[in-house]
Amino acid sequence: MTETMAADAPFAVSVRGVNMVFDGVHAVRDATFDLEKGRFLTILGPSGSGKTTLLRMIAGFGRPTSGEVFINGLAVGSVPPHKRSIGMVFQKLALFPHMTAAENVAFPLKMRRFDARSIPDRVQRYLDLVKLGKLGDRRIHELSGGQQQRVAIARALVFEPDLLLLDEPLAALDRKLREEMQLEFRRIQRELDVTTINVTHDQREALVVSDEIIVMDHGRIQQKARPEATYRQPKNAFVANFIGVTNFIEGAVASIDGEKIVFDRPGFAGRVGNGFRPAAGAAARGALRAEQIRIGSGREALGDVDTIFDGTVTDAIFEGERVVYEVSVKDLGETPLRVFDHDPVTHNQHDIGSSVALGWNVKDVLVFGD
Amino acid sequence: MRPSRTSYPLSWRLMDALEAIAAAVWPRSFSAAVPWLMLLPAVVLVGLLVLGLWDMADGSFRTLDTATFLPSDDYSLTNYHRAFTEKLFFTVASRSLIGSLIVTAVTLIFAFPYSYVMVRTRSTVLRKFLLIALFLPFFIGQVVRAYGWLIILGSQGMVNEALGLVGVSPIRLLYNYPAVLFGLVQYMLPFAVLMLAPALTAIPEEMESAAGSLGANWVRTFIHVVLPLAKPGFIGAGLVVMTLSLTDFAIPAILGGGSQDFIANAIYDQFFRTSDQGMGATLALLLVAVGSIMVGVVFALFGAGTLAIGRSK
Repeated sequence: MTETMAADAPFAVSVRGVNMVFDGVHAVRDATFDLEKGRFLTILGPSGSGKTTLLRMIAGFGRPTSGEVFINGLAVGSVPPHKRSIGMVFQKLALFPHMTAAENVAFPLKMRRFDARSIPDRVQRYLDLVKLGKLGDRRIHELSGGQQQRVAIARALVFEPDLLLLDEPLAALDRKLREEMQLEFRRIQRELDVTTINVTHDQREALVVSDEIIVMDHGRIQQKARPEATYRQPKNAFVANFIGVTNFIEGAVASIDGEKIVFDRPGFAGRVGNGFRPAAGAAARGALRAEQIRIGSGREALGDVDTIFDGTVTDAIFEGERVVYEVSVKDLGETPLRVFDHDPVTHNQHDIGSSVALGWNVKDVLVFGD
Repeated sequence: MRPSRTSYPLSWRLMDALEAIAAAVWPRSFSAAVPWLMLLPAVVLVGLLVLGLWDMADGSFRTLDTATFLPSDDYSLTNYHRAFTEKLFFTVASRSLIGSLIVTAVTLIFAFPYSYVMVRTRSTVLRKFLLIALFLPFFIGQVVRAYGWLIILGSQGMVNEALGLVGVSPIRLLYNYPAVLFGLVQYMLPFAVLMLAPALTAIPEEMESAAGSLGANWVRTFIHVVLPLAKPGFIGAGLVVMTLSLTDFAIPAILGGGSQDFIANAIYDQFFRTSDQGMGATLALLLVAVGSIMVGVVFALFGAGTLAIGRSK
């Protein structure tokens, strides 16, 4: 009976109303989501958001205070980690230093009582998969950081688990290697079609590797959506702020015209974000991405925009492929707006202290209540 | 605004004063000699030890003149011949050797779970309790502790009284080999725990979680991961316990009641009872030799464990 249920279960992982309280800290609050088989999910959030706690509960380290985790449709609350079919790559990798790379990969096969004769071939196949085919006899400390990552991945996947969990394994790598390994994770995940849950605080990594992103803050799931949707339609101000560079313009609602919300700041308006329809006079914040703002020395240089403000450049940060301007706009509050200029011809043309015009479209300003 | 007081703490001012005094007493141009000077006390102490050993080596070749009760002037190997042929010395030596091996094994088995819980527990109260329970016996001293065991295990001691209540006639719990080994294990346990704890602390908890997620239950995690990674701690603790119990004096003397002498007791008897300094020196040197060989064998077989020092490669 349960066998057929497991086979027919549509979701690889279901989390239902999970709470975790330890030492009086409510680390995870009422987490609920489903993950389909073969998908790559990233749980994204700042440190202390509860993302690792949630992952560890799915792995079986720590039982939820309330709520239930289902894997392939079966409640796993009382199943210890070694009886779950889960491969995990740990934050500090946790490779066994007293074993070679190949022994590390063979370890789960031995522990899970695979046929001894099949183990060497299988270990080699997975070392080949992570491009370490010739380094099996090396000890862990004889491998580079990137190679150690690959051993950890092979070890987590070699026994063909139902689920792969990644607990921020890339956090300690330098940027170039991290980006290379992100693409490796993506490639291997697609090749094996294994359901994967990744935990990270790196928004870029989340956008690059995932089919879906869960954004967490203060133990709560803020949004679960595809990467594009997470970026373009953030559900609240936290998500809008956490992913990408976002300017917030505080104010009060003057009037509402369909989807358009007009602020009490003359000339500033936005559109309804996430169904927030405030009454006139209510406090509201307009969220505007730095890359949505055009910058020019005069209003005529901005092209086709429906909102234009004048400002003064307070800082210009050269980042190579782009320049980040901080522009103080008297009519939009104290905080200067951050503006990206990617145009290779014009960028870095505005000196600190010079007057500029900023322009954007009302549809690019999302209005939130919080 | 007044600058914060902690921006130049009192301890720094104290150090400034000390440095000024040091500079006055010890001119800066001598500074290259300072490290060597600091080494001097230790070198003197070790040097004295070598002198003493040399003196004992000299004595070990002189036999006791039974007419004058003075060591002979001429050298001979008589003492060494006696040490290897007389049954008494063989009994004492094998008793100490076998005893130290048994004590080492039992102590390590007992110490491991204690250190493991102490290192891994999430409860700070439990950790503190275990630490205090560990250090308290250090304040009591070996002799007092051995007398404590006399009170508890004696024929009218607490244990036998309790047995009497349930109708068991008194059992002889003292003055035998197991009593000595028991006392030694009890004495050595804190040393072993203290040597094991750093080795266990050095094993990241994630290692054990990883073994679990890879399919190992706690027994297999222990055998395949914790034990191999804790090996340096076991070697360090084992060597300390083995050498300390091989050379122990007070516990065999008190809990053995003269019938369970270890080598150290035999040496004492030679020096202070029969006044045969030559024989005492011979036994002492042989003890040093046997202990060194045992340590050497362990080093050769397993490495130095946590006792390995120097820059890591």
